[in-house]
Formats: sequence, C-alpha cells, structure tokens
Amino acid sequence: MTDWNAMSDAEFRKEVRGFFEAEYPEELRHLPHRPKFAEIEHWHRKLHARGWVAPAWPTEYGGMGLNAAKLLIFYEEQQRWGVTRGRDMGVQMVGPLIIKFGTRKQKDYWLPRILSCEDIWCQGYSEPGAGSDLANLRTRAEVDGDDFVINGQKIWTTMAHDATHIFMLVRTDPNAPKKQQGISFLLAPMDQPGVDVRTIATLSGETEFCEVFFDNARTPRENLVGELNKGWTMAKALLSFERIFIGAPNLAQNALGQLESFARGRGAFDDPVFRDRFAQAALDVEDHAALYARFADQLKRGETLGADVSMLKIWVTECFQRITELMIEAAGPDGGTIGPLQVGNVGVDVLSSFYKARPTTIYGGSNEIQRNILSKAVLGLPG
Amino acid sequence: MTQTDMLSSDQEDLRLLRESARTLFDRAGGSSRARKLRDAGGGWDPKMVRELAEAGVFGVTVPEANGGLGMGLAAGGVIAEEVGRVIAPEPVVATIGLSLGLLRRLCPDHPKMAQLISGETVLAVAWQERGPNGAPAETTCRYADGKLTGSKAWVVGAAGAHGFLVVAEGDDGPVLAMVEAAAEGLSVVKRTQADGSAMGELSFSGTPAEELARGARVSNALAEAISDATALAAAELVGLSERALEITLDYIKTREQFDKPIGSFQVIQHRAVDLHVMREVAQAGVREVLALMDRETDPKIRARLASRAKARAVTAAKKITRDAIQLHGAVGYTDEYEIGLYLNRALVLSAWLGDDAYHRRLWFEAREEEGAAQ
Repeated sequence: MTDWNAMSDAEFRKEVRGFFEAEYPEELRHLPHRPKFAEIEHWHRKLHARGWVAPAWPTEYGGMGLNAAKLLIFYEEQQRWGVTRGRDMGVQMVGPLIIKFGTRKQKDYWLPRILSCEDIWCQGYSEPGAGSDLANLRTRAEVDGDDFVINGQKIWTTMAHDATHIFMLVRTDPNAPKKQQGISFLLAPMDQPGVDVRTIATLSGETEFCEVFFDNARTPRENLVGELNKGWTMAKALLSFERIFIGAPNLAQNALGQLESFARGRGAFDDPVFRDRFAQAALDVEDHAALYARFADQLKRGETLGADVSMLKIWVTECFQRITELMIEAAGPDGGTIGPLQVGNVGVDVLSSFYKARPTTIYGGSNEIQRNILSKAVLGLPG
Repeated sequence: MTQTDMLSSDQEDLRLLRESARTLFDRAGGSSRARKLRDAGGGWDPKMVRELAEAGVFGVTVPEANGGLGMGLAAGGVIAEEVGRVIAPEPVVATIGLSLGLLRRLCPDHPKMAQLISGETVLAVAWQERGPNGAPAETTCRYADGKLTGSKAWVVGAAGAHGFLVVAEGDDGPVLAMVEAAAEGLSVVKRTQADGSAMGELSFSGTPAEELARGARVSNALAEAISDATALAAAELVGLSERALEITLDYIKTREQFDKPIGSFQVIQHRAVDLHVMREVAQAGVREVLALMDRETDPKIRARLASRAKARAVTAAKKITRDAIQLHGAVGYTDEYEIGLYLNRALVLSAWLGDDAYHRRLWFEAREEEGAAQ
C-alpha cells in the first residue's frame, strides 16, 4: 500500500491532480447541484477501486491515511478541478464517528458499506425548533425491547430522499439537567414504514433539502454509537477539521474567476466604479488566502485549531456573496434571468452562483453564531 | 537543513526582533511618549533614534556587506508593526524604506549610509511636488551645477532632519541630490498633521547640493524605495490597528451601562468581532506581501504587492480606528483618551504614500498589465 504521507507535497499534488484530470468525467465538473448517487455512480466506482473514497480515514479501515497537510492538498485539488464531493456524508461525518467511538462490530459492519456506498447516509441534526440552537432538539428515542423507537422530525436534511440511512442526534433523556445532556448518537435505516421524507424546494428551485418525519420508526439498540446520552460531546469532537474546510478559499476563488471572465466579456471593466469593487473583492480573496494559509500551516505542524478558525468562514462566505452580487450587477438587465448567460463561447449561470452563495452564511453554524463564538472564546467578551 | 527548518529559524529571528523592539518601546513609555512629544511641539526624540539604531533597527533591510542586518522587508515589517503599536513619531519607516532604500541602491559606499544606520543623522526624502491645483504633479525642481531650484512637498520628517535627499531634474534626466538642513537658499514650511507631526514643504533658490546619483537608475531606485516604504507603512498600520483594537476591547470589557459591561451586548460583540477579523486578515495579508517582496525581483510585481498591502492595511486601520471611537462613546471624542491618538495617526499614515482607493487602482492596473503581457 502506498504511504502517501512519505511523498513530498509537490509529488503528492501531482499524483492527485493527474488522477482527477485523467479520470474525472468532464460532464461532472463543477456541478451546480448536489448529485444523486446514480448520477455519479461510475465515478464513485473508479474512486473506490483506487482506494481514494476516504482520504482522511486511517488505512486500516480502508482510507488513505492522509495527514492534515496532504489532506488539504487533496481537497484543494478536488475543488480546483471541480470534482464533486459526491455523497460524502458517510465518509465525512458518520465514518469518523464510528472509527472514534464505535465498537469493533460496528466498524466491521458499517465502514466497508460506507466506502462502497452500499449504504448512503444523510445527517439528521437540525429540527424545526433546533437550528442555531441545535441542543434544543426534541426528536425522541425510547428503548423498547431490543430496539429504539423514534418519534419526531428532522429538517434541512441534505439529500435524505437519496439516502438509505440516517445518522442522527436524538433525545434519550428528556429529564437531564442541561439540554446538551441527554442527547445520543443513533444510526437508523430509512427504508421502513415509520420514516417519511418530503423534499423542500429552495429559492434556486433545487430540492437538496428534506424534512424527515419519524412516527414510531425503529432501529436496533446496537445502532447506538458511543455511550447513551453522550452524543453532543461526540458530535462536537469532530468539528475541528470541518471548521477549516468550511472556511477554505476555493468557493470564493472560483466565483471570482467566473466574475472576471463574465465582467470582461460584458465590458463591465470600462466602469471605474465596477473596477474598484472588483479590486476590493479580489483583494478580499487574496488576503483571506493568506490567513487561511496560516491556519493550514498550524494543522500541518500537527497543532489543534482553536476557536479563532471561525473567522475564515465568516470572511470567505460573506466575500463569496459579494462576488456573486457583483456578477448580477455586471449582468445588468439579465440579472434576473434563469440559466446560463452567453459570454463569448461560454455560458455563465449568474443566478445559480448567487443562490449557491446564500446558504453559506447560514449552514455549518450561521455567521452570527460564529461571531458569538469568536466574541466569547477569542476576544473574551463577557456574558 | 530542510525548508521547514530554515523557515522556522527565520521565524525565530523575527520573534526575537519583535520582542526586543517591543521591550524598547514599552520601556520608553509606549503611546504616552507619543502624546508627550506631540504636546511638546510635534517632533521626535533624537535619543530614541539612537537607541533604535543601537538595536539595529535602521539597517534591518540593508545588506550585511553595507553595514546592515540584511534581514529583508519581512523583518522591516516586524519593526514597523511595533512602531505602529506605540504610534512612535520617529521616522522609522521613512528612514528604512525611503532614505536608506535610496542610498543602499544608489550609493551604498557613501559615508551617510553608516551615519543613517547608526542614528547619528536623519535624512528626509523629498520626492513629490505639488501642482498649481494643490494635487501631486510631475517633477520640475531643477538641479544644475551643484545647485537646486524649485520646490518639494509632503516631506515626512522634514522638521528635525539633518538634511534632505532630493529627487530633481538634471540636464539629462533625474538626479538624487543631498542638501544640508542649514543650507543657504532653503526654506522649510511645516504643515501640521492630524497626529501633531509635520510634513515639510521645501523651496530651493539656488541651494547648494551634493549630487549622489544621476540617470534612469535614480528613478528606478526611487520606485523601488517607494514600494518598500509603502509596504512598511502598511505594516505600521497593522501594528497600530492591533493596539487600537486591544485598547477598545479593554474598554468595552470594563465600561458599564445598564448595570453590565457594554461588551456583553451582542451588537457590540459582533462589531468587535468584525474588527478583529478585519485586523487578522490585514495582518496575514501584509505579512505575506512582505515575505513575497523579499523573494521577488521584478519591480512591477513588487509595486503591485506593495499596493495590495497598503490597500488592505488602510481599509482595516480606517475602519478599526473609527469604530473604536464609536465603541468608546463620548470619551472617545476627547483628546484626553488614548484611542484618539490612534485615529489621528491612522489618518496620517493612510494619506502618506497613497490611501486604499489609490492603491486599489494601482493594483488593478498592474494586474491588467501583467495579464495583457502573458
């Protein structure tokens, strides 16, 4: 088995880039939506055959075992070439949790099925009354013989309509003194009478989000991961890497590239006001990348990231939004038109970029929540 | 040694440099020293200049062969940040970036080099001119037969300098000439700045001057020195912003209204976070620029990088110092409070060598030119 970490960064980047450029299907590059599994199945097979489905997992579980430095390179190349993340909730979220907190039996059963996408996962965290205040969740799971019985509702469950399983935070002790206590981490099959999925149409007309209703749905007790009532701490323990990933410069960089070619084609640079606003946005992206590099270096040195990493997400998502807003301005009277706008021989879908940027300041902890975190954990402001 | 080891030993050198500069300034009284000097008439302290020189500050970017430390702009930036933190009025960036930036490129063996590095002499650089409408204009100041005629404007450090390095037009292109402060036919008018310092407007009428260099190399060296000084001024603003935000955070943690520290109100917290994020982005961006400039030799790319740094640092410093006044409330508007000194210094440093809008324009034009050349 190849020890990727022994390679130089440059060698490894070349290897990853070479594979993506040679093997990734052209029609799937820079997909504007999240694909259903059937759409990307042939790509997933290639990735699986190469053993590259789970770059961050240890090799003993079928991952690539990449260290933080190599992992960043892998994701940078993935985003650079516009390679879809695919249906990666299993690999990114539930897999690492099972690896860290699961039993031997759980690992042996679930992990290979995640890698092969025999099981396709969705994440059941948010609820109608538990968004930013996630610990307020109410979906109940009660022991009944060898099963848990689940009642309640999850929402904003990405791609639940194309998932076979859900990993969820559920309330197992409604009498715990603090709402963060009494929450457990549970795995459940979707294909059963007590589970009902409805898609939610978004502003962009996509249906990636779903509501999932549980009416006496059942899952075996052995599908509890980790200790009963300890789910909150477990879910939080895995956020460190996600927090730099969510603050990576790529989305904004790609949008800036799009803005530049679109604005150039449309002659928007003739306007000095537009030039200045473009320069502002471009410098916002460049200087963010400098800050991102500082955090990435920290990871590469093997340090744990502190709460201050939240600022990457705040800056880059708001910057991404401004860039897509500039695209609409540059479109002039076409600013409300759905579908690709022709510039030279390429089509730029201005509205789709705009819509894509909107939820970035909401998901992964809204930017307001990130500001709360920074003000208390980094600036030490009271109350 | 691997690349990482080299990098970390460089980082260690910079850390030590930062510590010694900070200790030196703190021992001298921090920002209260700036207030005293301002109230005493807006000059600087020659004793401080010598102490800084002893610590190697002025020669930081001068090659070791010419009597400096040879540590590059990244190290110059560390010093500039510390100068900014205590809003020191000594012309540190002007000396490192402009005076020594010109001399080390044009006449590294001139005896004035050693005197500048040792702090014995301070020379102010006069390169800009004011046109009839008050805005910057082309050079018309003449140098011929050892004499200068014409005028110069926006000369930083003019009050207190022992002499001037003047960029003038000679018979066949630009000339760098040196004038003693006491030279005949030189008049210096001081224009008081927001921070109490003075910029000089010089006029020469047949003023005797020593020619140091002539020809295209003068304008090339000037452009390079301006790039250096611009990036270092950005670093000074980063240090200034950092300290201004610290002062503001201390204030909102202790000032109570409605029986609570005002820093416990979410609207205040979110504003403070935005300033903090802006400062972090500015620090990361400017430090990256200085490191890149040390590795880059193409003067046009170096100029573009310097513009990126100044545009970012001015944007951040303006926002931070102005919001700092708002977060202090009424006391922020008094002269008595420390925070106002930072606002005033930020105004002066922002205007010097071009503000954010100006540098965004230069940056964009440079980027277009590079794009077209590819």
